[in-house]
Amino acid sequence: MEQFTQVILLFISTVLINNFILVRFLGICPFLGVSKHVETAFSMGLATTFVMTLTAAATWLINTFILEALNLPFLQYVSFIIVIASLVQFVEMFIKKTSPVLYKALGIFLPLITTNCAILGLALLIPLNGYSFIASVVFGFGAGVGFTLAIVLMAGLREGLEFGDVPGTLRGVPITLIIAGIMAMAFMGFSGLISM
Amino acid sequence: MEKESIGRLVLTLTIIGIISALTLAFVYQWTTPYIKEHQAVAQEKAVFNVLPGAEKFEEVTKNGHTFYEGYNNAGSRVGVAYIATGGGFQGQIELMIGVNLNEEKIYGISILTHSETPGLGARITEDAYKSNFVNKPFGDYTVVKREAAEQTEVEAISGATISSEKVTTIIENAVSTIQSAYGGGM
Amino acid sequence: MASQLLDDFKNGLWNENPIFRLVIGMCPTLAVTNTTENGLAMGIATSFVLISSEIVISLIKKLIPKNVRIPSYILIIATFVTFTDYFLKAFYPGIAASLSLFIPLIVVNCLILGRQEAFASRNPVHRAIADGLGMGIGFTWALTLLGAVRELFGMGSIFGFQILGAWYKPMIIMVLPAGAFITLGILVGIMNLISREG
Repeated sequence: MEQFTQVILLFISTVLINNFILVRFLGICPFLGVSKHVETAFSMGLATTFVMTLTAAATWLINTFILEALNLPFLQYVSFIIVIASLVQFVEMFIKKTSPVLYKALGIFLPLITTNCAILGLALLIPLNGYSFIASVVFGFGAGVGFTLAIVLMAGLREGLEFGDVPGTLRGVPITLIIAGIMAMAFMGFSGLISM
Repeated sequence: MEKESIGRLVLTLTIIGIISALTLAFVYQWTTPYIKEHQAVAQEKAVFNVLPGAEKFEEVTKNGHTFYEGYNNAGSRVGVAYIATGGGFQGQIELMIGVNLNEEKIYGISILTHSETPGLGARITEDAYKSNFVNKPFGDYTVVKREAAEQTEVEAISGATISSEKVTTIIENAVSTIQSAYGGGM
Repeated sequence: MASQLLDDFKNGLWNENPIFRLVIGMCPTLAVTNTTENGLAMGIATSFVLISSEIVISLIKKLIPKNVRIPSYILIIATFVTFTDYFLKAFYPGIAASLSLFIPLIVVNCLILGRQEAFASRNPVHRAIADGLGMGIGFTWALTLLGAVRELFGMGSIFGFQILGAWYKPMIIMVLPAGAFITLGILVGIMNLISREG
């Protein structure tokens, strides 16, 4: 029971308090690049959540049973990025074969995920925080949900903004960044919600 | 685009991988002694920081915890330091605490790592807050939002009461860990 | 010949400044620029990785088959990043501690991979060096400026030296995540204004 509570708390804290985009600054590129429409933003979020959960599991196993067991810490970055790149490739092939509809929705985003720093950041945070296998997977899933939440909210705001009268110089990237700043301020309200 | 054989693709990646691994193994060999040294120096500084009068220290393990016993020139034990961790407002806080077991009071604390809000909770690293614990007798402390009037009171950082309370809790726990390892009021 | 090299170099400084014009490599840009010093250090570390990998990739571009070029680039970049990480930990532990997670994340900085694909893999090594230097300096000055603005308003100092007197009440929000987004938004807006008039 104690452990179950811990896992729930970890999930909430990953989604809201330490939101990957708005608090940890991980995954800003897709956050700015793929947040013009709610629908595409949601697909991107879904694809990222999927890869993040798998990455969390795979990198935990590699770190524990290969890198730590053989004392090869200097290969951490190289091996993590290879794992992520192959995982993305694998997921792409798998979805293409099994669900053409899903592939149509997510396909173009998948290659972009390899260079999403949220994924590598996640892989690096796990050994740093010393999570167990279960906690790592929950952490990965929570990070994905938090990512999706932020990017979908952002897309919603930007869709509304299309009809807004934004001064010329601020149109595009600048106003998006300022909105992100205001969202980050709102998310600051979550800090202290629970303490880990 | 010309056809490329799978063999050539695999070979290229393997060669790059091997060169990369060899280079990094060399870099690791070269830098590790320096990194270890920095860590040792940082630890030493932290221990001496919270154990005034200590000239050298020894690492001892009791009840599964690591303690640093500080000795003065005459070889008698001046106090014990301990690294305690606990949850803060934003993330984990790791601090070193030094205590005087004979007089049952705290020498001082130093914050090793934290991720509190810069400008607010992060002020737990400032002397104004840390001095709260200097020469404090063991016991339960109350965090107050004014100047501390009594021995057991800790003055909170304005705007960061939760961080102040969390650190206080970590210290209370650390003191009881040390006391139980060293047999109470010995 | 020489003027082409100069053009390659100048490109990154302003016209295609990675941060203000291309808006790539945002994660470290926002995360580590809470002080001027951190911004500068991150800029230098990223530039080092960028230039070294541009040199290597430009030299071996003919040996790498097209189909595995991206994985090969990533491997080479990750190697240089690991080197930088251990180097900083060994000789500049203070900087390594304050940049922590964002040093390894240089691996996935889109700027670096992007320049390999767009420039180093198609141009001779001397042009790759010019491009790497230009982009690196462009990235560094943008990061340093962002760090300086945030540190000045957030703590009243630049490079740790107190600039504004005791009368100034620091706006803590500037060194927090929210301030990073807003400052960068305003700076990009200002750059838009300048280049439109220019």
